[in-house]
Amino acid sequence: MRKVLLLFIWVCLCSPVAFAQVRQLTGKVTAAEDGLGLAGASIIYKGTNVGTNADADGNFSFSVPGDGVLVISYVGFLIKEMPIGNQTKFDIKLDADTRQLAEVVVTAFGIEREKKALGYTVQEVKGSALTESRSTNVANALSGKIAGVRVQSNGGPGSGSTIQIRGSSSVSGNNQPLIVIDGVPMEQTANKTWGGGISEINPDNIKEMSVLKGPNAAALYGSRAANGVILITTKNGQGTKGLGVDINSNISFERPWIKPNFQNTYGGGNGYRTWYNDGWSGNITDPAEIAQYRAVYDARYPLVGSEGTDESWGAPMDGRLVRQWWTGDDVAPLTPQPNNWDEYWNTGRTTTNSIALNGGNDKGYFRLGLSRVDQTGIMYYNDFHRNNFRINSGYNLTKNLSITLSGEYIKSGSDNKSYGSGQEFIWSHRHVSWAQLRDYESYMDVHNQRGNDTDPPNWQHTFFTNPYFSQKKLPQSNEKDRLLGNIALNYKILPSLSLMIRSGTDYWTDTRINVSNFLRVRNGVRTPGRFSEEVLRSQETNSDFMLTYNKNINADFGLNVQVGGIKRTNYYKRNYFYVGEMVVDGLYNAGNSVPSQNTIESEIRKSETQSLFGTANLSWRDALFLDLTARNDWSSTLPANARSYFYPSASLSAVLTELFDVKSNVFTFGKVRASYAQVGNDATPYQLAQTYLASGSWNGAVPKFSENTQIANSGLKPEITTGLELGADLRFLKGKIGLDVTYYNQTTKDQILGVEISKASGYNTRILNAGKITNKGIEISISGTPVKLPGGFSWDVSVNWARNRNKVVELAEGLTTYTLATQRGMSSEARVGQPYGTFYGVGFQKYNGQVVYGSNGLPFTAAGQKLGNIQPDWIGGMLNTFNYKGWSLSALVDVRMGGDIYDEGTGTARWTGQYAETALGREEGVIGQGVREVTAADGSKSYVPNDIIVTANQLYGYSNPRNYHESAIFDASYVKLREVSLGYSFSPALLKKVKIQSAKISLVGRNVWMIFKNTPHIDPEIDAKGGNQQGFGYGELPSSRSIGANLSLSF
Amino acid sequence: MKSILTHKNIWMTALAGAMSITSCTKDFDSMNVSPNSPTAIGPQYLLPTGIETSVDRYWGHRDRFERINIDAAELYVQHLTRNIYSNEGDDYTVSPALLSNNWKGFFNDGLLNFQRIINQTNAQSASPNANYEGVALVMRTWVFSLLTDMYGSIPYTDAIKGTGTDPIYTPKYDSMETIYAGLLNDLKTANEKLSVSGPAIAGDILYAGDILKWKKFANSLRLRLANRQAAKKPAESKAIFAEILGDATKFPIFTSNADNASLKCTTVLPSNNEWNQILIQGGRTDWNISKTLADKMNALGDTRITVYANPNKDGLYQGHANGLPDAIATGYLATSSTIGKAFTDAAAPEVIMTFADLNFILAEAAIDGDITGDAKKYFEAGITASFAQYGLTPPADYMTKAGPVSKEKVIEQKWISLFGQGVEAWIEWRRTGFPVFPAPDPRAVLNNGGVLPTRFNYPASEYSLNATAVGDGVKLNGGADDMKTKLWWAEK
Repeated sequence: MRKVLLLFIWVCLCSPVAFAQVRQLTGKVTAAEDGLGLAGASIIYKGTNVGTNADADGNFSFSVPGDGVLVISYVGFLIKEMPIGNQTKFDIKLDADTRQLAEVVVTAFGIEREKKALGYTVQEVKGSALTESRSTNVANALSGKIAGVRVQSNGGPGSGSTIQIRGSSSVSGNNQPLIVIDGVPMEQTANKTWGGGISEINPDNIKEMSVLKGPNAAALYGSRAANGVILITTKNGQGTKGLGVDINSNISFERPWIKPNFQNTYGGGNGYRTWYNDGWSGNITDPAEIAQYRAVYDARYPLVGSEGTDESWGAPMDGRLVRQWWTGDDVAPLTPQPNNWDEYWNTGRTTTNSIALNGGNDKGYFRLGLSRVDQTGIMYYNDFHRNNFRINSGYNLTKNLSITLSGEYIKSGSDNKSYGSGQEFIWSHRHVSWAQLRDYESYMDVHNQRGNDTDPPNWQHTFFTNPYFSQKKLPQSNEKDRLLGNIALNYKILPSLSLMIRSGTDYWTDTRINVSNFLRVRNGVRTPGRFSEEVLRSQETNSDFMLTYNKNINADFGLNVQVGGIKRTNYYKRNYFYVGEMVVDGLYNAGNSVPSQNTIESEIRKSETQSLFGTANLSWRDALFLDLTARNDWSSTLPANARSYFYPSASLSAVLTELFDVKSNVFTFGKVRASYAQVGNDATPYQLAQTYLASGSWNGAVPKFSENTQIANSGLKPEITTGLELGADLRFLKGKIGLDVTYYNQTTKDQILGVEISKASGYNTRILNAGKITNKGIEISISGTPVKLPGGFSWDVSVNWARNRNKVVELAEGLTTYTLATQRGMSSEARVGQPYGTFYGVGFQKYNGQVVYGSNGLPFTAAGQKLGNIQPDWIGGMLNTFNYKGWSLSALVDVRMGGDIYDEGTGTARWTGQYAETALGREEGVIGQGVREVTAADGSKSYVPNDIIVTANQLYGYSNPRNYHESAIFDASYVKLREVSLGYSFSPALLKKVKIQSAKISLVGRNVWMIFKNTPHIDPEIDAKGGNQQGFGYGELPSSRSIGANLSLSF
Repeated sequence: MKSILTHKNIWMTALAGAMSITSCTKDFDSMNVSPNSPTAIGPQYLLPTGIETSVDRYWGHRDRFERINIDAAELYVQHLTRNIYSNEGDDYTVSPALLSNNWKGFFNDGLLNFQRIINQTNAQSASPNANYEGVALVMRTWVFSLLTDMYGSIPYTDAIKGTGTDPIYTPKYDSMETIYAGLLNDLKTANEKLSVSGPAIAGDILYAGDILKWKKFANSLRLRLANRQAAKKPAESKAIFAEILGDATKFPIFTSNADNASLKCTTVLPSNNEWNQILIQGGRTDWNISKTLADKMNALGDTRITVYANPNKDGLYQGHANGLPDAIATGYLATSSTIGKAFTDAAAPEVIMTFADLNFILAEAAIDGDITGDAKKYFEAGITASFAQYGLTPPADYMTKAGPVSKEKVIEQKWISLFGQGVEAWIEWRRTGFPVFPAPDPRAVLNNGGVLPTRFNYPASEYSLNATAVGDGVKLNGGADDMKTKLWWAEK
C-alpha cells in the first residue's frame, strides 16, 4: 500500500508541467424566462477548481487557462455547459428547472452527484442553517432538521451529544455515525463531559452537511458507516474573486429552562423540625441552645439537630426562630426561599467571533478561517474555550494536476468542567438560600461544625460539601489539541480518467486534571488532597487512492467507474496517575505526593484496516440509474482466517416522469428507488487471547494482577449489517410541494458481544459472534412553499417525520437478555423479542391500570416488571421560514413522541419532600390514588377505591426509585419550539456605499418554548450515561434557554 | 516520462497495490497482541488479588448494595443495628444487587484467581509448586464454604471451568452434602501439599509466606467444616476430628492468637479495613450497636464491649432494637453506642478464623461426643483467647457468669466472640438456633414475613444465564428459592 502511494506521488510530481495560454472571459448570466440577472450564479471552468460567481446583476469576469468548457449553475435552474472556443464574452441564459431536482449532493468520498441518480436517501443541511441559530456543538443544531436523526444533547460547556440515525443497530458497540470532514474521518465520541468529534467543529466553516443514513448510503465507507455517515464539506474559497473577508460575531446568554415545581411550605430536616446544630445528626447539649430549641419545639421533639437529614420534612417555614447554618449561636426566622433555584444558577454566556479570508484566481483558491469561542456555563465557575484555525486551499499545478489541502487545528479546553449533575435540589433543605451559600466565606467565623473540623460552611456536613466551594476548589480541567487535515492530488490522466491520491489524519491529545479532594478534617477524620491527571493521545490516519473513469458510452448510456484502496491506522494511548495523598495541598504535580498512595495506569490500542473497493454507476437516458459497489476489508483485529471480508451493495433509481415522459404541471417529477447493501465490521483490538489485568497493589508494595473475567475468542468473525431501502421522491405543482418517503429494513447479525455467562463458570462474559437486531422504519419529509407573493413575501415549510421499530431477534445460544445499563437495580436491556433498551425493574401492582394498595394504605409492588422502553415512537420536526425583502423569520419545532426515561432525580426529590405535591396533606395525612384490595372471608379478592389515610412521607416513600423503580419512569415525549430566528439582510445598494458585500444581523433563541411534555418538574430530554446507555437521569444539569444576537459581514 | 502513464502501467500499478495490501497484513498478528495486559503471569501476583478481594468482600465491601456483612449478616445476628435505611438489611430486605454482586464477586474475583494458581502450579503444570497449590486450595475451599453456607447448593464440581479444555459455561449445582465432602477432602489434600521445607511463595498477604501457619489454618478450617456437618455426617466428622487431633505434627492446628487467619489491613489506601472506608473515610453514621448484643454483654459484665463499641454521651454502652423504621430509629442515633475504634481503624484486621473459634468448635465437639475431651476447658480457653485477641483478660467472675458449659452457652460465647464476623455468626445461628434472640421490638417492621433470613436467594443472573442448573439447585435445597428455606446442616 505504501509502495503504491509513493509510486503515484512520484508519477504525479514528475509528469510534465505544461502551462497553457491564459485568457480573460466576461459575461452575464440571466434567467431565460424574464431576462433578469442571476446574482451569485456559479461559473466553473469544467474539470478544474477554477471558477467565479456572478455579481448582483449577473455579470462575471475571470480568466481560464485555455480552451475548454464552462459549467454554469444556479439553484433552481438547469445546469448549462458551454464550450469556450474563441469566445471571450458570454451571454448565458439559464432555463428554470421546474423539477428543482438537479440538486447536487455530496456522497461517499465527497463525490458530488445529482440527487436524482441516487438509489438511497441523503439529506442535507446548509451551513447557514447551522450558524445562525448557533449551538456551540454543531450536532445539536441538527435536532429536528433531518428525518430519522435523533440528537440527545447533554450538558454543560463543551459537552458532547449522542447522535443516532435510524435507531440502534449494535447491541454493545458504537451506535454513533461516522463523521467525515472533507473526505477524512474524524473520531466521534459522545462523551458528556469532554465532548469530542463533531462538537469541536466551528460551524462557520461548514458549507454543508449531508447525512447518509444507514448502510445503503455508506457502503463505501466500510465498517464504521453501518450507523450512517455525517459528511461535512467545509467552505474553501472556491469561486472568490480577489480577496474576500467574512466576519461573524455572535453573543448569546443562557439560563436554565424548566424550573421544578417546589414546595415552599416546609423547611429542611425531619419530624417537623428544622434545626442546625453542627451539620450532623447529633445531640444538642449546650444549655443556651437547648433554651433556644425549646422555645420553638416542645418536649415531644427530641433534642437532636435535624440537618443531618438531607430532606425537607422539617418545620413549617412560618418565621419561627431557629438556628441555621449561617446564624452561628444565634437564631433567625425560618422563611421560604422560593427563588433559590434561580439563585443557584449562573447566567451562561457564549461569545463566538470568526473571521475568514477567501481568495482565488485561475490558479487556485484558499480560505483561512479563524474563530474563538468563550463560554461560561449555567453552573458557576464552569467554562469552555475553543480556538479553531482552518485552512482550505487548492492549486492547479498544471491543467491536469491539482492539489488540495485542508487542515484544521483546534485548541480547546476548560479551567473547570466539573459540573455534570448535582443533587442540590434532590437531597436538600428547601429553606436554604444559595446566594448566601455562594458567599460562604463571609460565614467562616460564625459557622458551627464539629470539633476541629475544617469543612467550608454548608447547610449540612454529613453528606454534602458546599457546592460552590467544590466547584472552585475541585476543578476538572483540560487542555486539548487537535489537528486534522488532508492533502490530496488530483491527476487527470485522460479526459475520462482521473486519479486522486490522498492522505489525511486526525490527531488529538488531551490532558485532563481532576482534583477530587482537598485537605480537610471532617468529623474528626483528616483526609488529604487528592487529584488525578490523565493524558490521552489518539490518531487515525487514512491514506487512499481512487481512479475514476467517467464516460458516456453513447447518447443513452453513461458510465462512471471508480476503484480505489484505503489504509487506515488507529492509535490510542492513555497515561494516567492518581495521587492519593498530596504532601502540600493545592499543588497539582505528580512529585507532590506520598508515593505509596499513588496509582499509575497506561493503555495502548493499535489497529489497522486495509481496503480495496470499486463502484460502478450506470445511467440510461438520465432516467434509470444503477449503482454497484464492492469492498473488501482486511482488519488487524480479527484472526488471520477471518480478517478478510467482502461486502457488496446495489441500488437502482428510476425517474418515472422521465421514463414515461410525463409532462404535467401537477405531477412534475417522480422517482422511485431501491437499494440493498451490506457492511462488515471488525472487532476492537485484543479480544483474541486471554489476558491478565493489573489491579494495583497491596499496601502500596505488593503488585497485584487478576485474570480477565472476559473469555477471549480466537475464532471471531466480522459482524455484518444488511440493509434494504425503498423510497420515492415526488414533486408536485412545479416543485412547490415535494414529498420524500423512505422505508428501510436493516439487520445486524454476528455482532461481536461480550456475552454474559453464569458467574459460577469463574468468568463474567465471553466474547462471541452473537446477536441479531433489526431496525425497520419509515421516514417522510415534505417541503413546500404555501405562499409566494410577487411583492417578495414567501413562506416555506419543511416537515420531517420518522419512526423506527427496533427488535432484538436473537442473542447468543441460550441467552435471552443483554444488559445495557443498570441503575439502582433497574436495568435497560436488549431482550430477545423486545425492542432495544427495554426497562425492567420493580413496579407497582395494578388492577385495571390502577395501582393496588393494601389494607395499610401502601401500594403493592412486584419485581421483574417491564416498565418501559427508551426508544421513541416517532420523532419529527417542522421548520417554517418567512421571507420578506431583507427580513427572514424562521421557527423550528422539534418533536419526540413516546419512549421513556428513568429519572431517579424526580422520584427521589418526591421522597425527600422537595416538590409541591409533597406539601399537601403533610399534617393531615394523604390517600394514595388507586384501588384497595379487599380479601373476603372466602379468600376472594375485590377492589374498592383506596380510602386509607397514611402520612405523606410514608406514601412518598414509595417514590423512592432505589426500591420502587416504576415511580421514576416517565414518558419522555416533548414538543419544543427549538429555535426561532429573526434576521435582516441589509440591501446591497446601501452596502455598496460602505464597500460591504453583504451584512446580516439576526436574533436567535434556542429552547424557546416547551409546548408539551409529560414529565413533571424536568425537561424530559436528559441523558446521564450517553451512548447505548440512554434513558437514565439523576440530577442532570438542566437544559437551558439561550437568546443571542448574530452579526455577519462579508467584504 | 509520458510513457509511464500508459494504461498498462496504471493497471499494473493498481494490481501491485492490491498485492501489497495482502502482503502488508503479515504484521497484523503481532499488532493485535495486547501491549497492555500479559497473557501469562506468575502466581505471586494473582494470590494477593484473590486473598484481598475475597476477604474484603466477606468482611464488608466498601460499596453500598454489596455489603453482606454490615448490610446483612451483622444485622441479622444483632451485633449491629441501623439508625437509618433499615430497609438496607436491618428489616431483612435484601437488594437484588447485593445478591448478584456477591455471587459474582466471590466466583470471578476470588475463586477464578485461586483456580488459576492451582492450574499454574499443580503437578501437571509446567512449573509445579506445591505450596502455592496448597495455599490456593485452602483459600478456594474457604470461599466455596462461604458461598454454599450463604446460598445452599451451588456449582462446585463444574465451577470455574469457563476456560478449561472442555469449557463449562452452565455449571451444574451440587448438593451441600457433596460440596462439604469435597471441601473436607480438599483441605486434607492442601495439608499434604503444604510443606514447611517446600518451595517459597510470594505475594502471601495473609501469612507472609509462613507455610506452617497455612497448614494450621487448613486443618483448623477442616475442623470447622467437620463440626458444621457433624449432626448430618457424624461418622465422617468423628474420623476427621480423630485424624487431626491424633497427630499434631502431621496435622498442626491453631495454638494461639498468633496463628489467627486474618488480613492485616494497612493505613495505605485502598488496603485499609473496609469498615474504616465506610465509616471513617466515607463518614457514614448509619450503624449502632444492637440492643441484643449490648444487653447481653452488659449482663455478663463483658469488658470486650469497650473494644466493640464506644460509650454513648452518658458513658454507657447501649444499643437499640433491630428492624425499627427510620422515623423511630433515627431517634437513637444520639443515644446508642457506635462501633469501636478497634473495628474502624484503617489497620483493623479482617478476621477469617481465630484461636477462640477453634476452641469453641472443640468445646462443641466434646459436648456432642465427636471428640473425647474436656468441654469446659475448651470453652474457657475460647473465652480467654477471645479476650486476649483484644489485649484483655476476662474479669474474675466472668466464667461463672458465662454459665456452665453447654451447647447453647458455647454458641452464645462464640456469637459474642464473632463480633465483626457476621457471616460466620449467621451460619452458626442458622445451624444451631443459638443464641436465642429476644422477640422483635413491637415497633419493628420486618420483611421476609418476619423470619430471620435462613439463606440468600440465588441471583437473578443465574435464572437468565444458567436456568436449568439453578432449577436443580433449588430442588437440591429442598425448598423454595427464598430466604426461609433451611440449609442442609441446620440442626433445628
